[in-house]
Amino acid sequence: MKRDEAIGGMILLLFGMVTIVLALRMPIGTFRMAGTGMFPLILGILLMFLSCLLFLKHLYQVKKTTVGRDSVAEHGSPVQLILFFGTTVLATAFFNQLGYPLTSFLLLVVLLRTLGMKQWFLNILLSFLSAVASYFLFVQWLKIPLPKGWIGL
Amino acid sequence: MFESLQHLVTGFTIAATVQNLLYCLIGCIVGTLIGVLPGLGPIAGIALLIPATFGLNPTTAIIMLAGIYYGAMYGGSTTSILLNVPGETASVITCIDGYQMAQKGRAGPALATCAIGSFIAGTIAIFGLVFLAPPLAEAALAFGPPEYFSLMVFGFIVLSNVTGTSLVKSLMMAIVGLIIGTIGLDPVTGDARFTFGSIYLLGGIEFVAVAIGLFGIGEVLINVEKPLEMLEQHALVPRFRELYPTFQDFKKSIKPILRGTGIGFGVGLVPGPAPVIATYSSYMIERKISKHPEEFGKGAIEGVAGPESANNSACQSAFIPLFVLGIPFAPPTAILLGALLIHGVSPGPMLISDHPELFWGVIASMYIGNFILLILNLPFVPLFANILRIPKKVLLPLVILFCITGMYTVNNSVFDIWMMLLFGAMGFLMRKWAYEGAPLLLALVLGPKLEVAFRQSLMISHGDFGVFVNRPISMAFLLATVIFLIFPAIRLMFKKSKKGGI
Repeated sequence: MKRDEAIGGMILLLFGMVTIVLALRMPIGTFRMAGTGMFPLILGILLMFLSCLLFLKHLYQVKKTTVGRDSVAEHGSPVQLILFFGTTVLATAFFNQLGYPLTSFLLLVVLLRTLGMKQWFLNILLSFLSAVASYFLFVQWLKIPLPKGWIGL
Repeated sequence: MFESLQHLVTGFTIAATVQNLLYCLIGCIVGTLIGVLPGLGPIAGIALLIPATFGLNPTTAIIMLAGIYYGAMYGGSTTSILLNVPGETASVITCIDGYQMAQKGRAGPALATCAIGSFIAGTIAIFGLVFLAPPLAEAALAFGPPEYFSLMVFGFIVLSNVTGTSLVKSLMMAIVGLIIGTIGLDPVTGDARFTFGSIYLLGGIEFVAVAIGLFGIGEVLINVEKPLEMLEQHALVPRFRELYPTFQDFKKSIKPILRGTGIGFGVGLVPGPAPVIATYSSYMIERKISKHPEEFGKGAIEGVAGPESANNSACQSAFIPLFVLGIPFAPPTAILLGALLIHGVSPGPMLISDHPELFWGVIASMYIGNFILLILNLPFVPLFANILRIPKKVLLPLVILFCITGMYTVNNSVFDIWMMLLFGAMGFLMRKWAYEGAPLLLALVLGPKLEVAFRQSLMISHGDFGVFVNRPISMAFLLATVIFLIFPAIRLMFKKSKKGGI
């Protein structure tokens, strides 16, 4: 098991602990008449148990093998990923204010640029055509009430 | 038997209306496109299109969504053969011999064999569905809360056992899904749970957000992380005249197609990612019984015909547990269950008698859908394959835009988009850390049912856990669960002792 997987196990252990703490704040009841917190409490305990099992397995494997680090080759470009996901998050944050047509256009321009479309003219043309096509498909044809934003479209 | 045939004829009259035919065609085309495009599988595809069915009646909606499901399975083979990139996981096996055939200039016959095999398999499987579903539904009437609870636990354990590399990790994912499923109103008392005062969380986490996030956004992010040069791909697009298989090809394929159909149908009835297991089993059997096993891996048409037929057959028979028990055994059918619930239809033993138009209409539409897919896939394969010419650097931003738009349309809420992005990031990390998303999604959809069955069982028995083992059907499911749980440990011990012994 890789170190990353163990980190995942630790996060799930924490998730299980939080579930238990929150479930204990709810009525637990009895098995005959289970309260609101009973089912999440059982699930939290099960998750913690399995996380511990996974962590122990990791410790056992680390002792057996001395391979410590993951290979660098399997990692790609984190900057590209952060830019891509960050842009999507920003677009969501301003979705209502900017409106659907403008958000989709700006989102596509930045995402295409992030993924290596260096020619601005082609990038803007493609983004514009895609934004217009999706606007006509969703807003005009399917009549989906998407945010109009300040441009009012 | 005659009654079932009569109902099937009625089903055809329902499925053959202009509206249903149109939506079946749309479902098949969209499904094929989704299957062809690497990065957007049937789960995210169906989830994205659910909002588009809100204005339709339940029968038409499910006809379209089911069309997307089996259309995606058809389309998935195209990328496997032309690019050596499976459009979805069930097409991984098709890559082995399909891509080799394409390399030898026989992409056309490989694609045509897939389409013909899938059509034959789909046709036979539908008849199996017609004759098996009604008696099973009658048998399922004997199920009470303990039986449903044990069956669902069995489903989780089997799915966790056959997906991913670690049973513990898959089980953890199933539990995370169950915990996420508890968010919202308690299904028994109506009290709010884990909502932190937010009105958005009162209705629970939108399963569409989880599906698109884990399987759509997660997949896109995995692709985005790759170096830029890997985002460029070129496909082999066959010419029209190269498309059709020879008589010799057909002769070689027919037996694997029939065997694949049988394997797929059986596997589709049990919990787990049926198409994946079915294709793998079919390939192994074909290779084992072949007179020329050395040809497998080098472009044997049997290695394409068998698995692709098994894939389609498993997709059709997977509808039996969904319709008859109301319990999906695989993520795509879990999404379909969600869609049925959104449309106010609760599948289960009473579905056939309560909503005969939906049950028989959808089954008949599957047959029509298979025919549409055969027509679509034979002459139009080069057209679909041309979509692969779109570089990923253009495709991935468009998928993101489509995901955001589709997610917003579910409840007209930006909150759902946030949820989708959250689960997208989670899906990305899960892939990086080798955690499976399928058990989580299935658990999320089945979670409230499981909790209700658990609590009702204990209410009936006055808190006695013996209720789960005292009833024979429930006991049988739990026994099977224990066997599945200890099976990997026994296998490991057996392997170790074998190593030590030699």
